[in-house]
Amino acid sequence: MRGLYKKFLLFFLVAFMAQNAAANEQVQLQNRFLKKIDEVVLIVEDKKLSKDIRNRNIVKALTPMFDFELMAKLSLGNVWKELSSKDAKKFVDLYVERMKNSYSAKIDAYEGEKVQIKKIEQPKSDRIAFVTDLTGKENRLEIVYKFYRPKIKISGKDEWLIYDVEILGVSILKTDRAQFREFLQTKSINELMDVLAKQL
Amino acid sequence: MKSFCFVVLFIFISGFTQCSANQIDRQNEDRIVFQKENDNIENEFEEFADEFEAEEKTSDPFASYNRAMTRFNDGMYEYVLKPVAKRYDQAVSLQVQESIRNFFNNIYFPVRFVNNLLQGKFSHTAQETQRFFINSTMGILGFFDPAKNYFKIEAHEEDFGQTLGFYGIKSGPHIVLPLLGPSNLRDTISLYPDALLSPLDYTERSYPTLTDTWAEFISAKSLEEINRISLDMENYEKMKKDAVDLYPYLKDAYEQYRKKQIEE
Repeated sequence: MRGLYKKFLLFFLVAFMAQNAAANEQVQLQNRFLKKIDEVVLIVEDKKLSKDIRNRNIVKALTPMFDFELMAKLSLGNVWKELSSKDAKKFVDLYVERMKNSYSAKIDAYEGEKVQIKKIEQPKSDRIAFVTDLTGKENRLEIVYKFYRPKIKISGKDEWLIYDVEILGVSILKTDRAQFREFLQTKSINELMDVLAKQL
Repeated sequence: MKSFCFVVLFIFISGFTQCSANQIDRQNEDRIVFQKENDNIENEFEEFADEFEAEEKTSDPFASYNRAMTRFNDGMYEYVLKPVAKRYDQAVSLQVQESIRNFFNNIYFPVRFVNNLLQGKFSHTAQETQRFFINSTMGILGFFDPAKNYFKIEAHEEDFGQTLGFYGIKSGPHIVLPLLGPSNLRDTISLYPDALLSPLDYTERSYPTLTDTWAEFISAKSLEEINRISLDMENYEKMKKDAVDLYPYLKDAYEQYRKKQIEE
């Protein structure tokens, strides 16, 4: 009887600790995320910096939190596996550069707006999504940041990394997948890379 | 107590053995890490594939028409609507533009009221009603939005397309409409019942509407559109910058956006 009691106790202890660990993880990530947002807001609001330097600083601050490389790979879907290593590297470089440009241009416009986390979702142990509201003077924009935890930490990167961002329900990665897929049905990967290069 | 000591001992020993194993393997570390990273990328790629590939198999029977219409709409935007909206933007102050948008939003109240009701969203229906009365009176015919600014009552956009979606009607094939842009079969059909609820109309109705003739209707609609474009110009331009291929890009963004609206 005592043995059974002990087993029960141990089971609950482990279950409690696991749950606690998950909650802890969320809190830690939330703190890091909000700190990062504050950091970016400071850069955006620094009027002494030129626009170019400001955007470069924003990208520099955000890069450790984003897995742009994974996004590049996922944006191509199965085509990614067929690329030669030379093309693969070229594509990742182009995509990462494009992503950084696009994101910093978008965030630069959000002056004086507030970010608030309204919901945290954890569909799997290695996935966390922050549902946030970006509130400005006029409107409110729902933005979801989707994080994953790589099985092996990537050097120079955070433990949890953003792999997709949804703005008003529209996933950046999904739209890229859709447009790249259709583009590649009639054109080659080199043509796609040419278009990406022109966008920079 | 005995079992506790055992657990401590176990943790200690396993930690210790791992340490020594690490020392032994140190020479091969680079190779192992490299291999692991590759395996890792491959595995993670597969894991993510499930998340993204589920919704991607949609048929597109009107693809060639849609592409042509997207080009037409984009041309219309670039060479007609945008220049007009720019002139309008220079002539009309931002505050007036916002008031005009508020006015049009306010008169579409019947559309939102009925569709919120049809979906059984009673609290939203009540809030929409409150908004309409506050904004029509205190907000001077809807030109201002005190309901949101002072009473913190948010708008609840609902249209018939969302109502059909709410009851499980699929979107059907994607259709790009002239001037109106991306839509699908369900949302296109839904324009008709929503138009019946709109106070902007040119047909004979048994109830009073704000416009009676084609000319009045077109003028009011043009003002609404140019005003909207003037306020939203930057957003479309920014979106377009991310497009490698405009048609599939807008199509996918529209369908995702509608899906989200229906889920809410």
